Amino acid sequence: MSNEIWVFAEQQEGKVRKVSFELLSAAVDFSKKTNQAVGAVLLGNGLQQAVKSLTPYADKIYLIDDPSLASYTSDVYLINMAPFIKEHQPSVLLGGATSTGKDLFPRLAMHLQTGYAPDCTGLTIEENGKLVAKRPLYGGKVFAEVVFSEARPQMATVRNNTFLVNENLKKSAQVISIPSHTDPAALKKKVVGLEKGAGTKLDITEAEIVVAAGRGIKAPENFKIMEELADVLNASVGTTRATVDEGWRDLKDQIGKSGKNISAKLYMAFGISGAIHHVLGIGTCKTVVAVDTDPNALIFNYADYGIVGDLFQIVPALTEELKKVLKE
Amino acid sequence: MEIYVLVKQVPDPEAIVKVKSDSELEIENKYFTNFFDEIAIEAGLKLREKFGGKVTVLTVDNKKVDALRRGIAMGADDAIQITDPALEGSDQFAIAKALATYLNLKDKPFDLIFAGRQAMDDDAGMVGPAVAELLGIPYVNVITGLEVDDPKKEVKVIREVDGGKEILSCSLPALFTCQKGLNNPRIPQVMNVMKAMKAQIKKVDLAALGLNAEEVGGKAAKIKVQKYLPPPKRPPVKMIKEDFPENVKTLVKLLREEAKII
Ligand SMILES: Cc1cc2nc3c(=O)[nH]c(=O)nc-3n(C[C@H](O)[C@H](O)[C@H](O)COP(=O)(O)OP(=O)(O)OC[C@H]3O[C@@H](n4cnc5c(N)ncnc54)[C@H](O)[C@@H]3O)c2cc1C
Ligand SMILES: Nc1ncnc2c1ncn2[C@@H]1O[C@H](COP(=O)(O)O)[C@@H](O)[C@H]1O
Repeated sequence: MSNEIWVFAEQQEGKVRKVSFELLSAAVDFSKKTNQAVGAVLLGNGLQQAVKSLTPYADKIYLIDDPSLASYTSDVYLINMAPFIKEHQPSVLLGGATSTGKDLFPRLAMHLQTGYAPDCTGLTIEENGKLVAKRPLYGGKVFAEVVFSEARPQMATVRNNTFLVNENLKKSAQVISIPSHTDPAALKKKVVGLEKGAGTKLDITEAEIVVAAGRGIKAPENFKIMEELADVLNASVGTTRATVDEGWRDLKDQIGKSGKNISAKLYMAFGISGAIHHVLGIGTCKTVVAVDTDPNALIFNYADYGIVGDLFQIVPALTEELKKVLKE
Repeated sequence: MEIYVLVKQVPDPEAIVKVKSDSELEIENKYFTNFFDEIAIEAGLKLREKFGGKVTVLTVDNKKVDALRRGIAMGADDAIQITDPALEGSDQFAIAKALATYLNLKDKPFDLIFAGRQAMDDDAGMVGPAVAELLGIPYVNVITGLEVDDPKKEVKVIREVDGGKEILSCSLPALFTCQKGLNNPRIPQVMNVMKAMKAQIKKVDLAALGLNAEEVGGKAAKIKVQKYLPPPKRPPVKMIKEDFPENVKTLVKLLREEAKII
């Protein structure tokens, strides 16, 4: 088959995000079945490092490196991406279900008049190149297998940690530089400023391990013990709506129906009762640990391991035990 | 200011949803106005209070109009239901097409359109951006802050991005999808709820929009559900029953040796 499988290689400050490598690894697997080439689509400004990091993961890198792409807006990306997508007609275009992916892909798909499956938790491909996307509906109470009409590309955004990065790939991608199409007059919005979140921790949607506390932690300053636990595990700290509404934590760290869905390898919940609105956000986490003083807390219904106990006792002890064990 | 709000009635997050067959779901009859759409309605009402004008709530649905009634109860001036048998089986892009066509029809131009971040049934987050694309107007996704300069026809918004916030500005007309944090939707007074129950809802069909059946509905769908699946089942919870601090040691051991994740 001639048409290629493309992955939108999302970068932040010149660094390609992990989900893009996850998707390229999956695309390389798919390509073995369908005999298609794998292309990475990279836009931004000052991208030498990004190109280098992508080289083993793709057959081709479609690159637009231009000052007008220094900060992301859907307008400037769409203007630049649409023409060469139309020209090359890839059969698949995948992206991470990140804030950028969820912003860009629906609009781009509408523009290209093609099908788009958002926020997927699984993808397979048939030998004829037909993509089958698995996505949660109703917050994960049911799942749907979604297929696409004849229009191409078949577009999907996929959650972090759905696929593993294959670090053994040894491709050496050919770089295809594309001139920028940015027409300043056509740009409809501009970025005035960026406020980086405090700390250097990964977003909870990206982290492989998320540790979270809810109202059971009683006061905002007590999150310090959560931060300490997170540091040992290289984890990010999540929370419930209850603490966000109290003003104890930032909305960006809220897990659940009105917050974020996470797909961590390990999720640990402390002092979280397990309201449906919360647990809908953790349905695709691999292993779940719950600690709560109430033996009847609903959270235990959604956990793999549970401890009935006081988080103020358990969390510091767990931090110490992990420090000891992980050093060995 | 002419403000439109796109609203949808969806199953409450507490409603039971189960797979009935490969092609059918069983949904408990427990609906509410999409959480994010109430935030969108509130955003519209706040602007009208400041700048004057009109707020219209708009839905595409053949049966459920309670989201429109909720909008009226909260204070919206007008409610429009786009309804037509040919709309059955529409995907999000077809819904967007119907909405955008209606918005384009109006003789009176719109200044602002608000939608929710996502509908709590399909969890797609597609209709807002798709409507903006069809109308060719700026849009910003997932906003938690909004400042409108009416005379200048300019808006400044805050958008949540992974690991931070972004401040963007754009000109009007524009479309924004609303996220928790933007405001706290008002709870309508009982009197207004009663009034809304009786309020007249204008119906618009495809013919009035100048759309034909092939442009929407199942045939036009760009994606299709081939099969519904139940969620993957988690094995029953393993409660660690030892006393503190042995339970902590056991947990770490299980995570290392059984789950093999740390
Ligand atoms: C439309 C809608 C959307 C919503 N969206 C979300 C969402 O996205 N995310 C979300 O999280 N919620 C959401 N909610 C709210 C949700 O229904 C719950 O109210 C919320 O999740 C409860 O948070 P919590 O578990 O922190 O608090 P609580 O329910 O108060 O639970 C606290 C728990 O801590 C335990 N505890 C107390 N002390 C200790 C201790 N010392 N050690 C250990 N355990 C202790 C208690 O036993 C209890 O189980 C939403 C609600 C609605 C209506
Ligand atoms: N049938 C509909 N009628 C009106 N607005 C809708 C409809 N479906 C979705 N929307 C709007 O688009 C947003 C996102 O929906 P979705 O793309 O389905 O997740 C919702 O929060 C609504 O504001």
